[in-house]
Amino acid sequence: MSVLKPFSKLPNLDTASILLVENEEQVQQGLAEALVEDSAQAVNVRLARSLPLPLENEKTRPRIDLVVFILNLTSDKSFKSANESLKYLDPGYFLGKVCFMVTNARYASGNMGRLDAVRKMAASLHCPLLFAEVQSPEGVTNAARRLLTILKVASGLVPNTSSLYLSNLTRCTKPPDIDQPSFD
Amino acid sequence: MDASDQMNEPINQNDGLAAEACTQKGTSPADMLRIKQQMSNHCFEMSVQLNAGKSKRSCSASEAERGLPNYISELERVKMVHFNSTLALHRMQMWHAIGEKLKQTDPDAAALMAVGDRCMVLCSKIKELQNENRNLQENITEIQKKRLELKRLTDEKMKEVEELMSNKEHPDSEKYKTLLEKGQATLEKYKKMTTMTQNVLRGILLACKVNWLDDPKLRETALTLEDFPISD
Repeated sequence: MSVLKPFSKLPNLDTASILLVENEEQVQQGLAEALVEDSAQAVNVRLARSLPLPLENEKTRPRIDLVVFILNLTSDKSFKSANESLKYLDPGYFLGKVCFMVTNARYASGNMGRLDAVRKMAASLHCPLLFAEVQSPEGVTNAARRLLTILKVASGLVPNTSSLYLSNLTRCTKPPDIDQPSFD
Repeated sequence: MDASDQMNEPINQNDGLAAEACTQKGTSPADMLRIKQQMSNHCFEMSVQLNAGKSKRSCSASEAERGLPNYISELERVKMVHFNSTLALHRMQMWHAIGEKLKQTDPDAAALMAVGDRCMVLCSKIKELQNENRNLQENITEIQKKRLELKRLTDEKMKEVEELMSNKEHPDSEKYKTLLEKGQATLEKYKKMTTMTQNVLRGILLACKVNWLDDPKLRETALTLEDFPISD
């Protein structure tokens, strides 16, 4: 029973909590530092390799506002482990509190199949899909800034906007885009 | 209603937490407002979660997706109306506050009046400049029209000149032709006259059996008669 639930704890006052899930643990640290530096409000960053999260920290862990899966397109394991971890997330999270971030997309030109699979997954779960270039510090800062925008909405710090509303604006399309049911 | 009881508990605890935070940090009113906003957002999300479980209407995902754009556009419309109304309300409040302030005689009010006067001066200046701008623009348009007209006339004149150039050779050759024909006609006439005169002279010489061999002058004339090609 180690499913991560969105509403099982009290929300944190004036802080935002984000959980970065990454199999390889390469980008997490840099991204976490950029996130904490950048924002005016307090940001609580938790790092994990995969879900389910260890039970020891259950009491001290704050309520997670946004879960970000960081996928490396050049390795197959990260996609698989992310898929596995999805099972341990409560469905309540998928109303705008989950985000996928893909790194190393420019080196994955031979692996369009994996990119398609990631896009399909993000589209079927109605989650935003971000592409980040994390080899340079500016790239990490940019990625952190984008995540911060989504995080602020997810933790209620933006007036008149909820994460469900934002998720309608940030949906991604399934490949191939041609036979996407459009607004007819 | 177990779920809503659970919900109310967190809300009460939220108030407690908020009071705690205020006493701990000494937060400003702006911070408190922000925290209140955050909490209201959270409560809204939790109530959405609760209501989601209530209406157990079975419909497929694609059906729901088809209805989604309508709901979204309705939501956006309402949000926009709300935002515009809030803006209008803020504007009214601002103006009311400014009006009230101006009625008093503070140094602040004096500053406001000064700003207002400066605005008036700038606005009248703007109006002047706009008028000037418009006049200049009109002048420019007039000049452009004139230029266009001149260009058109120039084009016409050029066409005329070209026509004349092509026609000029013809009149000259016309005159030349008539002169030529006249000259030729005259030549023909005189040729005929000469031929006729020669024929008459030969006739006379033959008829009168004049002995032209002996007289040298007569002989010359008669020989020329014989050799003269009868042109007809």
